[in-house]
Order: sequence, then structure tokens, then C-alpha cells
Amino acid sequence: MKLIEALELIGRPGVTTAPELKIFLACGFTPLHLQTFLAAHLRERFPERRISVSAGLFGDLCGNIERLEGDTVDFLAVVVEWSDLDPRLGLRTLGGWRPPQLDDIVESARRTAARLERGLAETSSRVPGIVCMPTLPLPPMFSTRPAQAGSVEIQLHHVVTALMANLSEQSNLRIASAQFLDEASSPADRYDVKSDVRSGFPYSVPHASALAQLLASLIQNRSAKKGLITDLDDTLWDGILGEDGVEGISWHLDRHSHLHGLYQQFLASLAGSGVLVGVASKNDPALVNQAFQRNDLLLSSNDVFPFETHWSRKSESVQRILQTWNVSPDAVVFIDDSPMEVAEVKTAFPELECIVFPKDDHGGLWKLLKHLRDVFGKALLTPEDSLRLTSIRDSSIWRDRSPSRQASPDEFLKAAEAHIAFDSSQLNGDNRAFELINKTNQFNLNGRRFSESEWRTFFIDPTAFLLTASYKDKYGSLGKIAVILGKTGGHKLCVNGWVMSCRAFSRRIEHQCLKYLFEAFGVDEISFDYQTTPRNGPLQAFFAEFVDGLPAAGVTLSRQQFAAKVRPLFHRVEGTVNV
Amino acid sequence: MSEQEQRLIRCFASVFPGLTAEQIRASSAQSTGIWDSLSLVTLAAVIQEEFGVDIDPEVLPDLDSFAAFCTYLSRLERPGRGGGEA
Repeated sequence: MKLIEALELIGRPGVTTAPELKIFLACGFTPLHLQTFLAAHLRERFPERRISVSAGLFGDLCGNIERLEGDTVDFLAVVVEWSDLDPRLGLRTLGGWRPPQLDDIVESARRTAARLERGLAETSSRVPGIVCMPTLPLPPMFSTRPAQAGSVEIQLHHVVTALMANLSEQSNLRIASAQFLDEASSPADRYDVKSDVRSGFPYSVPHASALAQLLASLIQNRSAKKGLITDLDDTLWDGILGEDGVEGISWHLDRHSHLHGLYQQFLASLAGSGVLVGVASKNDPALVNQAFQRNDLLLSSNDVFPFETHWSRKSESVQRILQTWNVSPDAVVFIDDSPMEVAEVKTAFPELECIVFPKDDHGGLWKLLKHLRDVFGKALLTPEDSLRLTSIRDSSIWRDRSPSRQASPDEFLKAAEAHIAFDSSQLNGDNRAFELINKTNQFNLNGRRFSESEWRTFFIDPTAFLLTASYKDKYGSLGKIAVILGKTGGHKLCVNGWVMSCRAFSRRIEHQCLKYLFEAFGVDEISFDYQTTPRNGPLQAFFAEFVDGLPAAGVTLSRQQFAAKVRPLFHRVEGTVNV
Repeated sequence: MSEQEQRLIRCFASVFPGLTAEQIRASSAQSTGIWDSLSLVTLAAVIQEEFGVDIDPEVLPDLDSFAAFCTYLSRLERPGRGGGEA
């Protein structure tokens, strides 16, 4: 983005009633064009918000962070440059670069890094943030030739690396990737010495734009896609299983098919991070089963569910996989080596991202893996990520053994040996609860989504509570699957948000949630901030059981209404409420 | 209106979005209340990027009107006749 384009973009009139997105840009230099570009890139990414980017005092990065009050901004963007760690590492001061002074510079940088870490740890408990470590080169101040990294230079880099490592442990902070920025902005073209010396703004205009774009993308924290459907022949492995046989397919360096091994390794990594991986292949199921018995395959059959292996159209396979996963096409990527198959699936599911596998194209595979990491990457993994595939597989078993096929519902549920654990101990540190509230559609009280700052602000109220429910039964664990948030007040409880994962349907968990609310909070009535949405049919149906007909906005349930119609519950329940 | 003048008006409009083209042509540090050192630095950066020129920081304080920028840019485009740098 050019500077004139950024200025024109932020100069365009917006909707004055739109909710504001307030960013505090903490840096030690004059923010100048970085501030402009950040506002512009955020405007592009959040067209429905009013963007404001404020900045602090010149030359006082640590103080700017320490003085920040958490409830005044939605996000903190911190840009550290070498001169923030010690002014002698910049060009605007003349503190001396004699060799005996360099050890003191390192020590001073260590002290500042420790102060920064303390300040960020404290501030990030109130406001989420992004930290970008020095993007500019160190000045030519060392006794070694520029081609040689000397001890002092390495120690300075170590100070920064250690600071980054410590900050990356903070769940509310995201660290900007130096490698990513290197690709977007050439390190040699970043520093504008004249601008730094004259105006205190050290960046070239293109670098300011690239850095602002990176910060904006981390602030946006786009939702990750959920699933990947892959073909097998000439995609997951090299060769045609039906023609080459189980031993004829390959993914190895000596067979010049190593790219397929890398792809397998990558898919296994995605599966381990909670991404759903399914197979859609025109193949003989028995042969596929044999192929997955090969112990040198890097993707285990345990990483994949479901397998759609038959001779029908790929779009039919994709349809069934989407149904099994219960996810929408726009949350899934389909990969196949055949452009024709890709086109057929794309025609059936225009929202699905469909990619032709770059067979024998090394550069293409590198780009593909980077792209997939971009669309599936998450800021933080939760324990539920590792449970997702297992619980979907278990749900499939659940459906297969469901009462319509076997015993009565009550007998089946009783025999499931279900256990529900309610927890209200975590508030704004519960990333899984925040994630569930923001991605669940079907069993969702009102469809309301929360930004990170709105989430934090909600729980500042001392009457606010957050209740989560985790579920397991003899078929496996579903992890944390329900979230309820609301406010207490006398004999009445107000529920402002309630979501439950669709994986947890048909287990009467929602009934147990209501029972638990009445009992744990000791209230006689619960009012719900209910709104009909185009997709919350399952929740509407649940309320209809108690209010005789479709619920109205703001529906209220009394303890008597609930007791009169609640179905038999067989869960073993444990939990405490801390409000 | 010359092409250079049109491009310069766009640069000014991006920094002073409230001004019409006529107001921009007549603008100066004295007449435009929002013309401060920060907007001058921003304006110079925009013009440098748009015109592919390098504005000498020494002359920046003298570029205190639309007309002054027009004259300065004209000199840069004809380095033999003026004192600017390309």
C-alpha cells in the first residue's frame, strides 16, 4: 500500500455509529507513517469498525506500556527497535561506541528487556497485544567487520530472543514473526537514516506499510479453517494404488517422490493440531486400508476421519465428509491432483477452497504448505484441539449405536456412563470458551460474537460469571463443549450467552446445564438474552420443549417450568461455582 | 490544469482531506489552519513517493504553500534550470 492510498483510505468517511476499534501503538520512535499505515490496513480488514490508533510519548516505550490503562483500548501493538533497549543502539544519540562501552550497552539492554517483559506481562493481563521485535539492523558499532557477528552483537540478539521466548508464553500476547516480515520487506531496504535523524521516524515508507500490514493481520486474528479433505493417488502418495499396488506407491527421496512424504508429514502435523483430515479418493477401500497399514506412511489412519473411498463422484464424498464433521464448506480445503476433480468439487461447493496438488513442483509444494499453515494456523492450541477428531469419530459410533437403532433413549443414555464437569474458575483466560462462543452457530443463544476486549470487559462486572461444561462417556471424551455466561442478581439469573458444540447434541447436556444453573446458583428464575438467528434452530427447538411453542426474545424460564418438563438425566455431575 | 498539478492536488487532498481543489490551490501554511510540521512531513513523504523525487530537508520549511511545491517540483523536473535535486 502506498502512503497516499493509506491516507485516502483513512480519510474516507465511515459509519459514525459503527463500534470503535481502539489500538494503542507503543513505540519509542515518532509513529508517523506507521500509525497511518496501521490505521489504513485495519480499515481494510475491519470495514465495519471505526478505527482509532493512538500512540504514546516519543522515546519512552516502556513508560508508554506501563502507563496504558487496560479499559481504554482494545488492542496493544508494541514495536520495539534497538534504540528502545539502549539509545546508544540508535543514531539519534551520541553516547559512544568505544569497545569498553559495549558491555554496558548489553547490560543496559538486558535491564530494559526485563522491564519490558514485566510491563507487557502486566499490561497483557488486561489488554491483548502484539509484540514486534527489532526490524532494523544494528548500527555498524562493533569492532568486527559487518560480515562477522561479534560477541557483543550476538549477546544483544540473545537478549531479544530471550525476551521473545518469555513473552511467547503469555497467552494474551502474539509475537510478530521476523521470518514472515523478512519475506514481505527486504531487510536492506527498511532503514531510512535521513528520516530517522531528521524526524525520528526510522522506517522507509514501504517497510512501514509492510510492518503495519503484519500488525493488522495479527490484530485481526482471522478464524482458522477446520478441515482438509485430501485425495490419495498422486497426492498423498506417488502412484496409482489400483495399478501400482500397495508396495508400488511411494513418498521417498530415492523414488523421487519425496514431496508426497512432505505432504504426509504436514497433514500429520495439522491433524495433531486439531485440524480435521478426511480422505476423498476414487479407490478400492480394501486396498486403501492395506496402504494405510504400511508402517512407513507418515499419516496414520488414526489421523484421518472419515475415509470416503469408492468410485462415486468426489463431490458426493465431500458432501458426506462435511456432514460427518458438521462444518460448513467455507471452513474446509479440498486438495486433489486432478484439475477435473477439483473443478467438479468446486462447482458443487463454491465456498470450498479447492487446490490442485502441485505434483513434481517443489516450489509449488513449498507455497502450498505455507498457504495451508496460514489458513489453519491458530494463535494458541487448546486441549480440545487434540480431542476433536477422536470425538467426531466417537460421535459417529454414538450415532451408529443410537436408540433409533437399539434400545430406548433413556436406556441408551443411562448405559453411556456420561460424566459432566462444570467449571467456573477461569474467566478471561479461558481460550476454549472464547473460541466456542465465537464459532458456534446451531446451539447458540443469540449469535453474539465477542471481540477479545468485549470478552474481557464483560467479566469486569463482579456479578458476571462464566460456566463451562466438559463431557465424557464410555465412548470417549468430547472435552469442553458448552459455555454459559451471564450475570447474577438475587433470585434471578440472567444468561447472556450460551453455546454448545454440535458434537454434544442428543446427550441431554443442555438439560443438565439448566438443572445445574438452577441448583448451583440457587435461583428460581432464569432470563435468557435469546434472539432467533438463521442458524440457531437446535436451540429454538430446545426452548420450545419448555415454553410450548417458539420462544420469544428474552425468554424466561422458572424452576417449576423446567422441573415439569425436564427429561430424565443420567449424567454424573461435578463442579463448583465461584461467583 | 497540468498533469503535475492534478497529481499534486491529489497528494494535498490525501493529507488535508477537508479541502476542495480550489482551496488546495490557494493553500499555504498561513491560510490553512491544519498545516503543521507533522502534516508537512507527511505531505513531503507522499509527494516523494508519488513523484519519485527526494525532497531536500533543508528546503522543506520553505515549501509552505501549494504554489511553492509546484515551483519546487517544476525545478526538479528541469534540474538544469533550477537548484533542485533529482
